Amino acid sequence: MAKQLHLWAFLQGIGHYPSGWRHAGARPADVWSMDYYRHVGQLVERGRFDAIVFGDQLQSRKGGDRTPERLAMPTLDPMALLSAIASVTSHVGLVNTLSTTYWTPESLAERFWTMDRMTGGRVGWNIVTSAHPDTAWNFGDEPMPEKSARYRNARETVAAAQAIWRRLNAERGTSPQQRPVFVQAGQSGDGRDFAAHTAEAIFCPAATMEDGIAFRSDLRARVAAAGRDPDGVKIMPGLSFILADTQEAAMAKDAALIALADDDLCIEYLSESLCCDLTVFDRNAPVPAEAILEATILPREDIAKVLERPVSSGMSLLQFATTYVRTPRGHNVFRGTPEQMAEMMISWINAGASDGFTMQPAYMPGELEIFVDQVVPILQARGALREEYPGTTLRESMGLPRWPADMGPADMAQAEAV
Amino acid sequence: MTHPFILSASVTQAELSDPAWAAPVLAQAQSLGLDMLLLGRAGAPLAFDAQVIAAWAASQLTTMGVVPVVGTGLGHPFHTARGLSAVDWLAGGMLGWNPAGPDAAQVADMARAANALWDGWSDDTLIIDKDSGRYLDTTKVIVPDYRGSHYRTRGPVNAMRPRQGNPVLVADADAPFDLAQTDISIAAQGQSAPSARLRLIRVGLDADVAMLAAAHAAGEIAGAHVDLDDAVAQLPQLAAAFAPVIEGRARATTGTLRQRLGLPTPFVSHSATEEAA
Repeated sequence: MAKQLHLWAFLQGIGHYPSGWRHAGARPADVWSMDYYRHVGQLVERGRFDAIVFGDQLQSRKGGDRTPERLAMPTLDPMALLSAIASVTSHVGLVNTLSTTYWTPESLAERFWTMDRMTGGRVGWNIVTSAHPDTAWNFGDEPMPEKSARYRNARETVAAAQAIWRRLNAERGTSPQQRPVFVQAGQSGDGRDFAAHTAEAIFCPAATMEDGIAFRSDLRARVAAAGRDPDGVKIMPGLSFILADTQEAAMAKDAALIALADDDLCIEYLSESLCCDLTVFDRNAPVPAEAILEATILPREDIAKVLERPVSSGMSLLQFATTYVRTPRGHNVFRGTPEQMAEMMISWINAGASDGFTMQPAYMPGELEIFVDQVVPILQARGALREEYPGTTLRESMGLPRWPADMGPADMAQAEAV
Repeated sequence: MTHPFILSASVTQAELSDPAWAAPVLAQAQSLGLDMLLLGRAGAPLAFDAQVIAAWAASQLTTMGVVPVVGTGLGHPFHTARGLSAVDWLAGGMLGWNPAGPDAAQVADMARAANALWDGWSDDTLIIDKDSGRYLDTTKVIVPDYRGSHYRTRGPVNAMRPRQGNPVLVADADAPFDLAQTDISIAAQGQSAPSARLRLIRVGLDADVAMLAAAHAAGEIAGAHVDLDDAVAQLPQLAAAFAPVIEGRARATTGTLRQRLGLPTPFVSHSATEEAA
């Protein structure tokens, strides 16, 4: 029997492409309505996805202090969206992003305990530490802690939350999964180590199959070194996609989508990434590196690195911005037919480049509808995707052991220690 | 004209976090004609996160509003403002909230901070025009930079202004706080009621409904609130007891919770000159 792959739907906002909300198949005005989430939740469930994942930030989209006009926002609280989707679905998992830096163990444990109950055991926790400097001022006067301090706190918070879940389960009656499935997305050394000790599924960028193999091998080695079973951790790289009946049509569709990113949008998108309002500069002049480094609130050395090539090549600010918008966040972007896409996905699984994919539709919900209607049946016919869910909990869908009963002694010790 | 009698109840039972129990209770409360269902009770311990249950309930609300009790212990007002904004949208504007906690000043500060974050977005911010590529009007968003007695939050919050502007704000005399924009108070006879636009009297299932009807007709109360400790058994009793005042009411058939209860909907529209000032 063919290797089975896992599917997640990463649905923050209105699609992966910054210009995706302008596509004819996008429904950007509907993201405020229950009908939209009912449709999307049931669509994903029909595609037999493990889960819907909503990414999250704790600051509003900005470039410097200016709110952009051409980027889709604001994003709604994932807890609310997922809990509402739970009421109109029965099997699909629901992964909520929540920050260990800006939640206490008590409050996040209460939130997930109730979510696991209300979803019938379908909840996961995408554990993030927050990174954007603007986030800090939404929660008081303390600046964002350093990365290593954030990860140290994350370990303590996860450990404290686990102790609270044990107590709540004992006092109130258990939630179906006893605690949420742990998901993590860190890519740095700190992030990978934290994931190796804690995560049961890992979301990462992998632009090529070779990147995927390298990342998955590295993580599996780290997981084993942490005394855990590598098969208990699913590696789920991001995968954006543009589907059409022919390869040429898919390329044309991609180009049309990129063309919807007009100059003003490109400038705003780059402004957000550099944390600097670029609308005040002459966009046809060379990249104003000095001024950007002066204005940004991100680490200057990081931004200097991003600016290096655009500055040395002598391109204009606008050329930089229009180039930048074409590679949103470094994820794999597939452009082709449903048959080619299914083939590609199966080849990644067979090569050990991933355990599945975190699908990032270019625009919503149109492109996801095409995937579910046209790629899912091919994957199922090839035996690479389940026809029915194996159970009702996210753990069952992902093929993960229960917590803590099914864990070995090393895992138990680890679970207590992290 | 007097607004129709408002009937409200609260459920605090731990079973509320079991969807198989909660779904029929919610459906029954709604079909029996309740205007509001409080999820939890201010001042009483809660065995669940009421905001999660309100979000789960959003898809099922047609004529009844839900009012989660939101404790100060459950997270920073930035989280609360985001969560409630989303639920209000998903629920079609059928959301209220009852801030609660041991420290009345902190409770009021949490509510003020949430309001400041919501009011940072104008009601007319969004454009969402695919042709022109304009998603919103940047001059309609301000940085609230709220600094209160307990909370500081800069904003803007990454959540749209709620469907109703602000969800209906409920204050319970058993855990009171003082806030000018309070929409509804709940207080027993003789108990000092928090100042609010509408007052509900807290009564038991054995209430003298004829007397309540008279008090309502005289404009002394907007309606009544009953705390349920066994919702499955007591909801039918509640509906039977209050049948004289709720049957045949000329209730609004459409609209948000504010509109149905006859409460004003706050409208905010920032402008470029204001931001520059």
